Amino acid sequence: MNISTDPWIWISSILSLAILSFLYKENPFFRAAEHIFLGVANGYLVTFYWHRILMPILFRPLFQQGQLLLIIPFTIGILYLTRFIPRISWLVRIPIAIYMGYWTGVLIPATIQAQIIKQVQGTVLTSANFQSWNAGAWGIVWSVIVFIGVLCTLSYFYFSREHKGVIGVTSRVGIVFVMIGFGAAFGYTVMARISLLIGKLQFLLGDWLGIIR
Amino acid sequence: MKLYERLMTIDRRIIYGILLGVVTLPLIFPSVVKVTPMSPVEKLFTAVDNTTNDKALILDCSYSPQIKAEVEPMAIAVLRHAFKTRKKILVLSLYVEMIGLATRAINQVVEEFNSNAQTYEDSLIYGRDYVFLGWQPPPIVPMLGMGESISNIYVVDYYGNQTDTLQMMERIRNYNDISILVALSGSRIPISWVAYAQNRYGLAVGVGCTAVSGADFYPYYQTGQFTGLMVGMKGAAEYEELVEANYGVKGRRVASEAMLSLTYAHLAIILFIVIGNIGFFLHRRRK
Repeated sequence: MNISTDPWIWISSILSLAILSFLYKENPFFRAAEHIFLGVANGYLVTFYWHRILMPILFRPLFQQGQLLLIIPFTIGILYLTRFIPRISWLVRIPIAIYMGYWTGVLIPATIQAQIIKQVQGTVLTSANFQSWNAGAWGIVWSVIVFIGVLCTLSYFYFSREHKGVIGVTSRVGIVFVMIGFGAAFGYTVMARISLLIGKLQFLLGDWLGIIR
Repeated sequence: MKLYERLMTIDRRIIYGILLGVVTLPLIFPSVVKVTPMSPVEKLFTAVDNTTNDKALILDCSYSPQIKAEVEPMAIAVLRHAFKTRKKILVLSLYVEMIGLATRAINQVVEEFNSNAQTYEDSLIYGRDYVFLGWQPPPIVPMLGMGESISNIYVVDYYGNQTDTLQMMERIRNYNDISILVALSGSRIPISWVAYAQNRYGLAVGVGCTAVSGADFYPYYQTGQFTGLMVGMKGAAEYEELVEANYGVKGRRVASEAMLSLTYAHLAIILFIVIGNIGFFLHRRRK
């Protein structure tokens, strides 16, 4: 056993234990650690944004180096604050409209390409898709399963017709695929949460108490 | 109280206690668990391995403290691999709160290598072998802008050096000089890299993600949009295994050390689910 002498490790460990104590029941130690975390995180973000964004990218170039074009984004940004002045609060619509217009323009084509067209291409039964599994002849089987799974799942979410007849059958198959997807997601979530617990224990038992290497 | 009622009303603190014991004991009394690398991780490893001398790889360390346990071992494994094979590497973070963790990973691996280096040539030199670009908001700016010019987007690196004066950056101008970008993240950032950098510039994207994101990300691996994929601590352990098996890189393998705990914890949870279901079905039959 080789207990750490680093005060930061001690602070971190005590706060970790305070947060974990919630698993037993809510208590003042947990609440204190929670508030410290919120305060520190917000303080960190505010100072970082000030020193790393506002000062070097906006204020210094604009007011010290005379890059006057920056007045435009500066003014647009300042308009966000008009929300706090009821008489001119309507001005906040200008930056919101610019922001929405920009992001809609940027996001729609990129999303359609990356998340719809490419994914549909990956579902179609082609020899390239069969080979992408690196599973030899089994690649065809996997591709067919994906193909059936996508069609049946889509039919489950088709609500314009009652789920009877052909749609009834496909939607029932679809719900099986949906459940398998939920199961996979749940399994991965369990793995993730346990991994985080392991990481915390590695820190407490290793860096703090020195029980493990 | 009947058996099925007991099964249905086990105090959650007992379950937490059992889980804590199951996770802790293998950490205190470790034994070797053989990790077999799976195809998605092998593909990522091969893609990093195939980076030629005239190209660099980008490591996007966009992971926050709450997912450090899962993703930091990936960053360390990729850095060890890249440095051992003398690949040029650019490191960046897309969000400010992740800068500290990226710095920590780089410093740790650089120190590991430099403590064993005999000569200046063997050492890892900042600006010659690696560059830490830091953080440039908002994320879409570097994603799109680096396709045209990296040094125009990151005019100065994290340490305040003019990027275009660094030796390594003489040959690394934009995505044409990048073999692969490895995005380590717990959010949908890897999909944004595909949507913006890959769609427009054809950048190869490899991914290391949390296990929670795994199920969402596999379709992108299947379509080839992700060159390779590491999922959760298991993915990190697989990459660690590949780096050690192929290049004999020694160093603490945090993810591999955790595999036994992870396995036992999974078995315990499976047992809990089975017990819970037995209790449920017995209860239903009695009703």
